[in-house]
Amino acid sequence: MKLVLHTQPEVPLEAEVISPDFLNGKTADEVAALTLFHGNNEVPLSEFFDVSGEIENAHIEVEGDLTKVKLLGHKMSDGSLTIKGSVGAHLGAEMTGGEILVEGNAGDWIGREMSGGRIIIKGDAGHLVGSAVRGSATGMLGGEIIIQGNARNEVGNGMRRGLIAIGGDSGDFTGVNMKAGTIFVLGKLGQRPGAGMIRGSIISTQSAELLPTFTYNTTFQPSFLRNYMIYFRKLGLDIRKEYIDGEYQRWSGDSLELNKGEILLYAD
Amino acid sequence: MSEESKVIKNAVCTFCGCVCDDIELTVDPAGKHITKANNACVLGKAWFLEHKVEDYPVALIDGKEASLKDAVEAAAQIFVSAKFPAIYGLSDTTCEAQKEAVAIADYVNGNIDTTTSVCHGPTGMAFQGVGESTASLGEIKNRADFVMYWGGNPAEAHPRHFERYAVTAKGANTPNGKDDRHVAMVDIRPTPSSLIADTFLQIKPGSDFELLWAMRALVKDAALDDSVEERTGISKAVLEELVERMKNCQFGVIFFGMGLTMTRGRHFNAGALLELATDLNQYTHFVALPTRGHGNVTGADNVVSWQTGFPFGVNFNRGYPRFNPGEYTTSDILGRGEADALCVIASDPASNFSAKAIEHIKKIPVITLDPKPTVTSSLAKVAFTTATYGINVPGTVYRMDNVALSLRPAFDSPFPSDQMVLKAIKERVCELRGLNQTTKTTAA
Ligand code: SF4
Repeated sequence: MKLVLHTQPEVPLEAEVISPDFLNGKTADEVAALTLFHGNNEVPLSEFFDVSGEIENAHIEVEGDLTKVKLLGHKMSDGSLTIKGSVGAHLGAEMTGGEILVEGNAGDWIGREMSGGRIIIKGDAGHLVGSAVRGSATGMLGGEIIIQGNARNEVGNGMRRGLIAIGGDSGDFTGVNMKAGTIFVLGKLGQRPGAGMIRGSIISTQSAELLPTFTYNTTFQPSFLRNYMIYFRKLGLDIRKEYIDGEYQRWSGDSLELNKGEILLYAD
Repeated sequence: MSEESKVIKNAVCTFCGCVCDDIELTVDPAGKHITKANNACVLGKAWFLEHKVEDYPVALIDGKEASLKDAVEAAAQIFVSAKFPAIYGLSDTTCEAQKEAVAIADYVNGNIDTTTSVCHGPTGMAFQGVGESTASLGEIKNRADFVMYWGGNPAEAHPRHFERYAVTAKGANTPNGKDDRHVAMVDIRPTPSSLIADTFLQIKPGSDFELLWAMRALVKDAALDDSVEERTGISKAVLEELVERMKNCQFGVIFFGMGLTMTRGRHFNAGALLELATDLNQYTHFVALPTRGHGNVTGADNVVSWQTGFPFGVNFNRGYPRFNPGEYTTSDILGRGEADALCVIASDPASNFSAKAIEHIKKIPVITLDPKPTVTSSLAKVAFTTATYGINVPGTVYRMDNVALSLRPAFDSPFPSDQMVLKAIKERVCELRGLNQTTKTTAA
């Protein structure tokens, strides 16, 4: 099934129904009649989207400049959602399974509190990738988020499990308050990575300035990185050979917490 | 009107967050202006003495004079036809007016945010994230023997903070004022405030978080790398001495300003400072308080929290309150071109928001309530002139330590209060939307 945005929303459009879980088993007409929130107004989906085709293999395609459209793929548990264009905030929030592919950029809060499935963004992502909502201590609980471009601040804030890979640079406070899980940044880490981290791994192929509550342990060749790097290559990230075989500095922190987190920095 | 000057004792100054309630005002016999404001500081004196009732029209629609009734109607129409109406400002008005503004946001399923989002919003987020150890300024005056100011310049921004509350103030356990206290200042440059400090740490710009993290590590006896000196400009030895002093005081307090909350790291900076105060409670009694700027910005936080559950950046589009700074804060909404109507109460976003946000303000219908013309009111579709709180209007305001105080206005104004105008708009909005109000009173 294909949904094409025909009218640009004036104010944010909340479209959590555009998720395979909600649309499965519905005809194009039934989907067109579903309700979206245009600001405080309830409107039928057809006011903004042309709907065509049927749902096969739980696959949905959405096309257009969706930067003002929020909550696509909300709570999805299965199937796949392909987005041809850029997308707004809260993409794939609370998702538990399935796959989202975005061929443009994504807004803030993508994959917040997700617990399974995979999100791939070909462009850049906003703030708070895979993070907790404000007021909650726990972010992403599982699944994978792959950003081929850059991401902004607070990547993986409070994450407990799962994998986030950023092909470009990340913003400040990457992996802040993380409890466990793995964050790869192939570009540069912003300021203060791993602040308040309890466990988990943050890996970067560039040098970084770390907080004074991180201490240097050793330089070694982490064999597990190889598996990850080869996996990322398959998902379309550009991985240089030396990052696969190279040596990494290991720093442990945050000493204000358990000191059981690690930051690995490529040592050339 | 009597021939004698009227004197108002214990009047309340709402110019800054100190909200001094010991001002003695003298009003001239004609009851049109204040001739004396004893006890007020320079800023407070200017606030009271320069206040005159000007001859502005009570309301303008599209820049033309209009009656209050027509302006209320026009404002209500803007609210009901908008899909994403945003209400902003509220830090320089009474709690009673703030309450009406929240009600409107709720009735029109709009967005409500206050100037907190551009000053101590990060502090609000940090309270939610890590909690706060706090005290009233009275407790601090009577007990604190260690006082630290971080990223603020109270001597110029809150002139009576030292004498009334925290430095030279004499209290039950601090009978000798400053002699009974150790005063520390942290800032990126010397200021008039830092002159009075016993310890002044001039830190490298943008290293507040690292310094706070290092201090926490010393308090908690955790591993600390020597890189801290290079990063912050403060040696480990100096920090160790300071932290020892903090651990060994009887009652410590850290006041923090926008130098901490509005620089890179924002809510994490504020959170780190609050956590440092909490950590110190392992050793002694320690609290931390933001030094709030506008007279009743603290009231705005309290009223919005009390009515919606969240302090600022609250959205009612779906009929229930949602809080998300960055998503529902006004500068962000306008910067992304999301709101389709804006109501500003006692603030001037068109003069201090980003160019993108101001561009958007020019495209949408704007309603303003302000005692004087502003850049925003010059762009407004509907502009109300309202009476000044504290000078003409009674009501409740909150001091920066969340203590509520009642205003004692000096003389009447020909203009309606913010509360009266907002209430009239609220009632008209309800009529237009066919909503039942629980408390129906006569409109202004
Ligand atoms: S310190 Fe603030 S509240 Fe007190 S008189 Fe001065 S301006 Fe007014």
